[in-house]
Amino acid sequence: MKKLIIVTIIISIFVGLGTAAAAAEEVNLYTNRHYDTDEEILNRFTEETGIEVNVLKGDSDQLIERIAREGKNSPADVLITADAGRLHRAKERDILQSVSTETLNQNVPANLRDEDNYWYGLTIRGRVIVYSKDRVDPEDLAGYGDLTSDQWQDKIVVRSSENIYNQSLLASLVSIYGEEWAEEWAAGVVDNMARKPQGNDRAQATAVAAGEGDLAIMNTYYLGKMINSDNPAEVEVAENVGIHFPDGENGTHINVSGAGVVKNAPNKDNAVKLLEYLSSASAQKFFASANYEYPVNPEVEASELLQSWGDFETQNINLTELGIHNQTAVRIFNRVGWQ
Amino acid sequence: MQLLKKLKKASPGWFLLTVGIIILLLIPNLNIIINLFGEAGENWEHVRNYLLVNYFQNSLILVLATGLLAAFLGAGLAWVIAAYNFPGRDFLSWGLILPLAIPPYIGAYVYQGMFSYTGPLQTFLRNKFQLRLSQQYFDFMNIRGAIFIYTIFLFPYVFLMTRAFLSKQSASLLESSRLLGKSDNTIFFKIILPLSRGAVVAGSSLVMMEVLNDYGVVKYFGISTFTTAIFKSWFGMGDLPTSVRLAVMAMLVIFVVLFIEKLLRGGRKYSYSTSNIRPVSRRKLEGSRKVLAQLFTYGVFFFGFLLPTVQLLYWSFLSRGGGLMETLHFAFTSFLTGGGAAVLILTGAVIIATTARMSSNFVSNLLARITILGYSIPGAVIAVGVLLFMQTGFGIEANVVLSSTLVMLIFAYAVRFMGIAFNSVNSGYEKIGESYFEASRTLGKGVTETFFKIDLPMLKPALMSGFLLVFIEIMKELPLTMILRPFNFDTLATKAFEYASDEMIYRAADLSLVLIFFSAAAIYLITHHRRRKK
Repeated sequence: MKKLIIVTIIISIFVGLGTAAAAAEEVNLYTNRHYDTDEEILNRFTEETGIEVNVLKGDSDQLIERIAREGKNSPADVLITADAGRLHRAKERDILQSVSTETLNQNVPANLRDEDNYWYGLTIRGRVIVYSKDRVDPEDLAGYGDLTSDQWQDKIVVRSSENIYNQSLLASLVSIYGEEWAEEWAAGVVDNMARKPQGNDRAQATAVAAGEGDLAIMNTYYLGKMINSDNPAEVEVAENVGIHFPDGENGTHINVSGAGVVKNAPNKDNAVKLLEYLSSASAQKFFASANYEYPVNPEVEASELLQSWGDFETQNINLTELGIHNQTAVRIFNRVGWQ
Repeated sequence: MQLLKKLKKASPGWFLLTVGIIILLLIPNLNIIINLFGEAGENWEHVRNYLLVNYFQNSLILVLATGLLAAFLGAGLAWVIAAYNFPGRDFLSWGLILPLAIPPYIGAYVYQGMFSYTGPLQTFLRNKFQLRLSQQYFDFMNIRGAIFIYTIFLFPYVFLMTRAFLSKQSASLLESSRLLGKSDNTIFFKIILPLSRGAVVAGSSLVMMEVLNDYGVVKYFGISTFTTAIFKSWFGMGDLPTSVRLAVMAMLVIFVVLFIEKLLRGGRKYSYSTSNIRPVSRRKLEGSRKVLAQLFTYGVFFFGFLLPTVQLLYWSFLSRGGGLMETLHFAFTSFLTGGGAAVLILTGAVIIATTARMSSNFVSNLLARITILGYSIPGAVIAVGVLLFMQTGFGIEANVVLSSTLVMLIFAYAVRFMGIAFNSVNSGYEKIGESYFEASRTLGKGVTETFFKIDLPMLKPALMSGFLLVFIEIMKELPLTMILRPFNFDTLATKAFEYASDEMIYRAADLSLVLIFFSAAAIYLITHHRRRKK
C-alpha cells in the first residue's frame, strides 16, 4: 500500500509539471511533420525570438478533429499539415483564421496559399511518374491523361485511394478537366494497374525496380529519401528508376505542406511570427530540404539533388481547388473501384 | 446464514466509490452511442452503396480466419506444453507468450521489410545467387499476410487461457484416459479440445476484438476494414454519425461470430471443474515425436518472436543506434506513464471488484460487462468520446488544464483497460474464495478493515499480473495516445509508429526493441511470479 501511495504521488507531480510548464512567451504548434530537422529549426526560432515552441505531433486529420473538439478552449496556435486538401478541410471546419502580413505575402506566392489567407504553403512536392530505366523510354511519357492509354496495360503501380496525395491529384484533375473526365481517367488507370493498390509511395518505386510494374505514381521526396537511405538495396532501387514530370497541356500536380493560424489562437502574434519565420529565406532552405522538398519562397533555391531532377511546369491552379474538390475525388475513387 | 449475508453487504462507502467510477467510465461511451440515434451523416448513403460490402467481407474474413487459426495454434501449443516433457519445454512455457510483446503493426513492418524487394532475404538471393524471383511469392501486403501477422502475434491469448485451464483441471481426466489405453491423439481431440472449449473461445474472442480494433496493420497493408472505415469517415470526411454506425456494425461482427459458436455448441455444456487441483504429470517424449514437438513449438517461437527481434536488431545496427539519449527519453516517458496509469487503473479495478464480490450475481455480472465495454470499442472512438467529455463535462477553467495534461490520456486508458484489470482482480478473488473474508467479518471486523488486512495481502499475485497486463497494453497502445496526448509528449509506441509510417523503419527499430524489451520483461515477471507461488 505504501508503494501504491508513493507511485500515486509521483504521478501527480508528473502531471503537475505538465501544467506548470505554461511559461511566459510561447506558441503552441500542432503538426504532423516529425522530422528531426524541424526540431532544430524551431530551436533556432526560439533563439532568435525568445518564444518557446510547444509541439503536439499527430496525424493531420486527428489533429484537425482535436482542435475542432477543443473548440474555444483549444490551446493550439498554429496547425501544420502535409497537404493543401487537409488545410482546406481545416478551413472548412472553421478552426483557422485569416491572417495577412506583407512578409507572408512576399514569401509565399499567391497560388500556394489560400485565396482568403487562411493558410500558407511552406514546402512543395510534386506527384510525378516514376519509370523503370530498363523498360521505359521517357520519350513515351506525357501528361497524367496519357496513363490511361493501352500502352500501359497492366503496367501501373500506385497506392490506395485512401491516401490524401491521390485524392489531391484527382481533385486537381477534377478542377482542370471536370468531374466526368476525371472519372474516366480514374477508371482508365484502374484498368491499367499491374496489381491492386497497396503499400506506401516507397513501395511503388520498389515495385517498379522489381519488375511488378513499369510506371509508378508517387511523390518526389520519397525518391530523395530512398537515395539517402541506410539500406543499400533501397539506394539501388532509386538508381534504377527515373523521374518524369508530367507535362502536356497542363503541368505537374504539386502540393504543399503548409500552416495556418488557429481560430482561437491564444498567442496569435507569436503564431504569425512563427509562420513568417518558417517562410523566410533563412529557414526555408533547411525546412524544405529536411524532407527533400522544394521551398515555396521564390528567393530560395532547391537543394542540389532536386535541381538535378530538372525544372518542370506546374499545374496552373490555386491549391485551394484541391480542398474544394476533395469530396468529389473520394467519391469518384469509390465508384471506379480504386481501392 | 441470514447474518452472513448481511455481513457480506458492501459498506456504503465502497458502493458509492464504485458507482462513481462506473459513471466516469460510462460517460465517454454514452457520448458516442448517442450519436447512433442522430441523423445519418451525409456520407452514410455513399458508404453503404459503394464500400460497406467490401468492409464487411474483409473484416469478417480477417476476424474469422484469425480467430480460428489462433484458436488451433494456441490450443495445440497449450496441449503440447501441458502434457509433455521435452528439452526446452520449461522455457517455451513462457517463451510462447512472448509474441504478445510485439505489437502487430511493428510485426507487420518487420515482416514486410524482411520479405520486400529491398529486404535482406531477396537482396541476399539476388546478390549471392543472381536469383530474381517473381514478386508474387513475396507478396505480404494482403489479407493472407494480415491473417498471418495477427495469428502469430496474438495467439498467446488463447495459449495462456487454455494452458491455465489444462494445467489446473485436466490431471485426473488425462490420467484416467491414459490408463484406459487411449492414444494421445484421441485424448486431445475427444477430451481435451471439447473440455477446454470455453477457455479457447474466451481467448479467441480476445484475439478477434484485437483484430477488429487494430488500425496499424490494415492501414499499412491497404486493406479496407471497419476500423479503417471508421477513421476514414470520421477524420477523412468529418462525419461522426457515419463512423459511429460503422463502429456498432463492427461490434456486430464479433457478436455474430460468438453467437454462431454458441449455436454450434448447442445445449451441450463442456464445463468441467474439480477441486482436486494438481499439476498434470507430463509424459516424456522420445524419438521422432520429441523432434516433432520441438519443431512445432520452437517454430512458432521463432516466427512469433525470435525472427522479428533479430531483424530489428539488425536494422538498429544499420542505423547505428541513432539517438540513444532520445530512445532513453521515450522509454522513460513510456515507463512512467504506463506504470502510473496501470497503478491508478488497478486501484479502480480493486474497488469495483471488491464491491462486485459483496453484491448479488446480477450486479457483479453487470459490473463485469460495463468494465469490458471500453475494450470492445475501437480506441479512436473512445478517444473522441473522452475528448468530448473533458471539453464539455467540466467548467471552462478546468478543461484547459485537463486537456493539456496527462489527466485526459490516463482517463482514456482507464476507460479502455479497466476490463482487463477487473478480470485479473476478480479471478484473484475467485481463487481466494470467501471463507477468510467471512471468518473475518464474523469476528467483527469491518469491510474496509477486512479488505486491507485479509484480502489485499492475498490478492497480491493477482494485482501483480493485472498490473503487468495493463502495463503491456499501455506500452503498445497507439490510437488513444496519438489523439489525446499533451504537448511535447511521445511514447515508444507513438514514436516508433511515426518513424515507421514515415517509412524510416530503421529509426523505428531501436524504439521497437526497447518497447519489446519492456513488454517481454513484464511477461517474464508475470509467468515467473506465478510459478514461484506454486
